[in-house]
Amino acid sequence: MVAILCVVMTWGQGKAVLIMKQIACEHCDLLLQAPKLKQGECAICPRCHHKLSRLRPSAINWLFSYIITGLILLVLSNLFSLMTFNLAGNISEVTLWQSASKLYFEQYKVLSLLVYVFTVVFPGVILLMILLFITTIKLGKQQWYLASLLRLIFALIPWAMAEVFLVGALVSLVKLVTIAKIELGYSFWAYCLFCICYVKVLSLVDKYQFWYWVERCHDD
Amino acid sequence: MMTKYSEGSAASQGLANCPSCNLLSDACLEHCPRCQAPLSLRKPYSLQVTLSLLITALLLYIPANFLPIMVTEKLGQIEYNTILGGIIVLWKEGSQPIAIVVFIASVLVPIIKFIILFSLCFSIYFPQMLSENRRVKLYRLTEFIGRWSMVDIFVVAILVALIQLDHLLNVQPGLGAVAFAAVVIVTIFAANAFDPRILWDNFNQQKAKRQNKP
Repeated sequence: MVAILCVVMTWGQGKAVLIMKQIACEHCDLLLQAPKLKQGECAICPRCHHKLSRLRPSAINWLFSYIITGLILLVLSNLFSLMTFNLAGNISEVTLWQSASKLYFEQYKVLSLLVYVFTVVFPGVILLMILLFITTIKLGKQQWYLASLLRLIFALIPWAMAEVFLVGALVSLVKLVTIAKIELGYSFWAYCLFCICYVKVLSLVDKYQFWYWVERCHDD
Repeated sequence: MMTKYSEGSAASQGLANCPSCNLLSDACLEHCPRCQAPLSLRKPYSLQVTLSLLITALLLYIPANFLPIMVTEKLGQIEYNTILGGIIVLWKEGSQPIAIVVFIASVLVPIIKFIILFSLCFSIYFPQMLSENRRVKLYRLTEFIGRWSMVDIFVVAILVALIQLDHLLNVQPGLGAVAFAAVVIVTIFAANAFDPRILWDNFNQQKAKRQNKP
């Protein structure tokens, strides 16, 4: 039995791009006839209400601008201090890099690697890989690495925890304001803005859409 | 004809959904023709892997709560902070909202994940317990909240790096932090290993068939 996808939320009009004939829901494996989505429309599984795909208007252009902004902000947030701690004239300062490396020198090497990898390396690498992907797509070339690149991107996404780190920074801020004077550095604000860009990029990432671009490259 | 896979599913038609690119292809293929990812109708040994990872995480959760995650030295006095102890201190010092945030992220979230994933694994054998839609919603919840327990680890990392005033006041990490990070990572793996599609499959029917055979 083939059910028909329910399509909700029409925002604009444009060309339909989903071309696969049949798809299966990731969460309940229901066999479905792929709908032709218009720009801004969202496909939802009729059985388990899993959001299958969403067609964003001019996704590539938005991805470009958010990724480049995000990468610049990530570099900036690694350059300055995150917080300054002032206890009766005793001042200490922490950068993003130090927040991980101090653990390394306290003999917690694995933990320090995890912190740095989850907060800076993975988000940055994901942004760079998506940038490489959409650049290749924009240039219209079929490259051998596209498939493995996409597999890697989707495997890494659950392990990037930029926004969690931001909440962690806020919690430690509140923990400390009662005992000392805390000042937030430029890096903190840069990292906040980076998180916004990063979350925006993730909201534009769509499996069906990305693979459709790869297939379209094949056809050309 | 009733198969062991749910009615209307791609698997009942012999089609496998590629886990990495969502292309439907014949289940007898070993690799996805588009992205070369290994293909299977369902994640292999999903229940066993999920349960074993969950038990690992549950064991690690004991040292994570009893060992200190931070060691504070204040004017020569050494203080050991566990997760719950830190929350109680926060609450007493008057920052109740933050105490609630930390409590949710580092105590409630892991426990909720344990309860949901265990009950999902057992619900396979008792499908009458909750409707499939309720259960898949619970699954999505665990997928979403998993990463947020890392908050406490990041707090420890920042405090350790920031508070280094020798004997006046300094903070060192504790072994509990390592155990807690391991709990978070192992539970994320457990949630990934669980295959929500088996919630719809006819497990009991499969079992009954096996028992009827002489």
